[in-house]
Amino acid sequence: MLGSRAHTRFGLGARPSDAPLGLDPRSAVLAQLEGDAPSRPVPDGADDRTVAEAFRTFRTALGAGHAGDAEREAARREARRTLVQVVAAESASALTLRLTTARPFVERLVAFWSDHLCVSLAGKFTVGPFAGRYERDVIRPHVLGRFDEMVLASARHPAMLFYLDNAQSIGPGSRAVARLARLQRVRPELAPNAPRGLNENYARELLELHTLGVDGGYTQQDVTELARLLTGWSVTPLQQSGVPRFEFAENRHEPGRKVVLGERYGEGEADGVRAIRALCRHPATARHIAGKLARHFVADDPPAAVVDRLAATFTRTDGNLREMARALVREDACWDAAHHKFRPPQDWFIAAFRHFDLQQMPVQGVGALRQLRQPLWAPPSPKGFGDLVRDWADPDALLNRAELARTIARRVAPRRGDDAALEIAGPDFQWR
Amino acid sequence: MQRRHFVQQMCAGGLATFGLPVVRFAHVRQPGRLVFVLLRGGVDGLGAVVPIGDPSYAALRGPMAFDAEALTPLDATFALAPGLSPLHALWEAQELAVLHAMAIPYRTRSHFDGQAVLETGLDKPLGSADGWLNRLLQVMPGERSGIAVASGMPRSLAGPFEVRTWSPAQLGTVSDAYLDKLAALYRQDRVLAGRFEAALAQQADIGEEMTARGSAPRAGVTPLFEATARLLTAGDGPNVAAVEFSGWDTHANQGTAGGALDRLLRQLADGLVAFKGAMGPAWRDTTVVVMTEFGRTARPNGTRGTDHGTAGVGLVLGAGVGRSRVIADWPGLGERALYEGRDVAPTLDTRAVLRDVIATRFDLTSAQVERVLPGVRGLGRVL
Repeated sequence: MLGSRAHTRFGLGARPSDAPLGLDPRSAVLAQLEGDAPSRPVPDGADDRTVAEAFRTFRTALGAGHAGDAEREAARREARRTLVQVVAAESASALTLRLTTARPFVERLVAFWSDHLCVSLAGKFTVGPFAGRYERDVIRPHVLGRFDEMVLASARHPAMLFYLDNAQSIGPGSRAVARLARLQRVRPELAPNAPRGLNENYARELLELHTLGVDGGYTQQDVTELARLLTGWSVTPLQQSGVPRFEFAENRHEPGRKVVLGERYGEGEADGVRAIRALCRHPATARHIAGKLARHFVADDPPAAVVDRLAATFTRTDGNLREMARALVREDACWDAAHHKFRPPQDWFIAAFRHFDLQQMPVQGVGALRQLRQPLWAPPSPKGFGDLVRDWADPDALLNRAELARTIARRVAPRRGDDAALEIAGPDFQWR
Repeated sequence: MQRRHFVQQMCAGGLATFGLPVVRFAHVRQPGRLVFVLLRGGVDGLGAVVPIGDPSYAALRGPMAFDAEALTPLDATFALAPGLSPLHALWEAQELAVLHAMAIPYRTRSHFDGQAVLETGLDKPLGSADGWLNRLLQVMPGERSGIAVASGMPRSLAGPFEVRTWSPAQLGTVSDAYLDKLAALYRQDRVLAGRFEAALAQQADIGEEMTARGSAPRAGVTPLFEATARLLTAGDGPNVAAVEFSGWDTHANQGTAGGALDRLLRQLADGLVAFKGAMGPAWRDTTVVVMTEFGRTARPNGTRGTDHGTAGVGLVLGAGVGRSRVIADWPGLGERALYEGRDVAPTLDTRAVLRDVIATRFDLTSAQVERVLPGVRGLGRVL
């Protein structure tokens, strides 16, 4: 029984080919946390050159109204197709890894942190080509590392900078704005639409969702000050070769003093780093992260003592995420059959594939997740996907699962008829 | 499922009130329908219903100000943005009340807090609270049911009163024998049993209609509104529905006439007009409320968009409006009038509007209304 909980509570579902976990499933789960998190290789068709060229063509062609428009439009359509294929290749690769991995707990953590610091390709087309890279560059390297390093990596990644608009947030008192104003006095037709002010979106979500949490005790003033401090955290301009990457654009940085949560900051990138590290170390952050982990791994309404202990571990280890994962495994509540979680669609879908020992995620799998309402890297808001039974177990959703179970079973076990479908559509399989 | 709840409600005392025999009670039906449309993301009120007559408007909005010629005037101050012009037909029919400078009673610029307050109907965000539509179903006497036309259960309908969901992403049909076996398994699951039964009941209700139509409608505002109308007008159809659309978080490149926001507004307006048509005679006792979690900054931001703000716009359409008008205690857009120097100031409480709507739309006692939307007075001026 404990062995099967290792597969469900800390894993992605058992496979018929899995070796028995033995008498000590906790040690088997803990062993998965040793060493670096497995990397995910760049899938075919999603390499730097392909992404860089398609992205540049797609973005450059946006300015219409010139001679040769038809040609540009055709190039743009082609680039768009390429970028859609990049997303498909990255998605299939990430989902396939969840099927084949020997360390499913680590993949669960990758999914958890990808959702906590989520970007979404649902809203903005510019995010899509970088969503897979975001998982590879931001989440995986730090999933068994430090929380503040992960948040910093996310703050500097094009996917996040595009998603929450910080790439185009500019200090109103910055040199770039002053220069633009001078230019426009001489040539008013120049760049009438250039961004020239703060965009608070990222700063707000960094406080509300990534670190302190909505009850974390910050004010609107803190949001604005943090946004001022993070002006200039942007991406390399389109004219520059290669895949867009982080750059600190000093000429767009807001000069002067900033005060975030009572702490003074000055100008420059280093003070932004200092502020983000301070947010990550904040006691409200420890509680916020502990609560989310406990809700994800224990129960919708986890015991308060579990949350307290996890928060203490977070504080004591300065946000060491490997230690947080170990602490979860040591919690008896995780192994207690009294607690259970409704499997969100991605978990259910992956577990169903593993149940039949499938090793490859077909292209249609990505679309099926959309129909199950939990498309990969495409949550409806920066808050990520819901994690509670009430978010997922609505009647329509159960029927969707029943129908999809039948489709999968017909393909992989045609001779077993409905019985195979019932194994993954039945109520027991909906819980972990 | 509906029957089970109905029985529970009877045992909870509904019978005594009506003094009707059990069998006939099932036919007692509230004489109206309510559709709550939530626009997630925070609609820019100044970009939707334009205070073109406000002397500060043009200067405040700068390059994002509309030309008056592009707008459909409503009164001396307000005009519909071009995208909302299809609603003028409802205005002419005396079926459209526009609410402006309206906000939830809690000052936040967070989507999540704002939606939580709007959807729970409380005066502050509270993580564990039921949705106000769910409480409405809990207190409403007689036969009633709710449906969410949404991908997932919206907070407004979440709670102990079981409701249905429907979204256009159906994955095909399956055999009855298989579903029967599955239903038997689900009956053993304490948490999921009722939900699976509800799914089968709904399959029976709308499955055939969808099949008859050839295929599931593509996602889109108008098809979703049309589907909502079919669900509401089916025999035993729900009398409370929540519909939602996202994409209103226009931080950048919001545009003016024909721009990004205006195109969304047009989809919404076309959808609402199609909904009225699809409801047929049932439109006469249907009220639609359209709301969003907050308005946006009065001034454009640095990226030709608007950031999270405070007061914004809402709509009430259909039965009970009586006379088309803009309901607003307009605070003005002068520098001093702006809330915290940046947002349209709130002068109208969303909860007071909702209170007017449910009190008029349904036959509720004031104690029941109080349970749904506690601690706020109605305005007595919306319906």
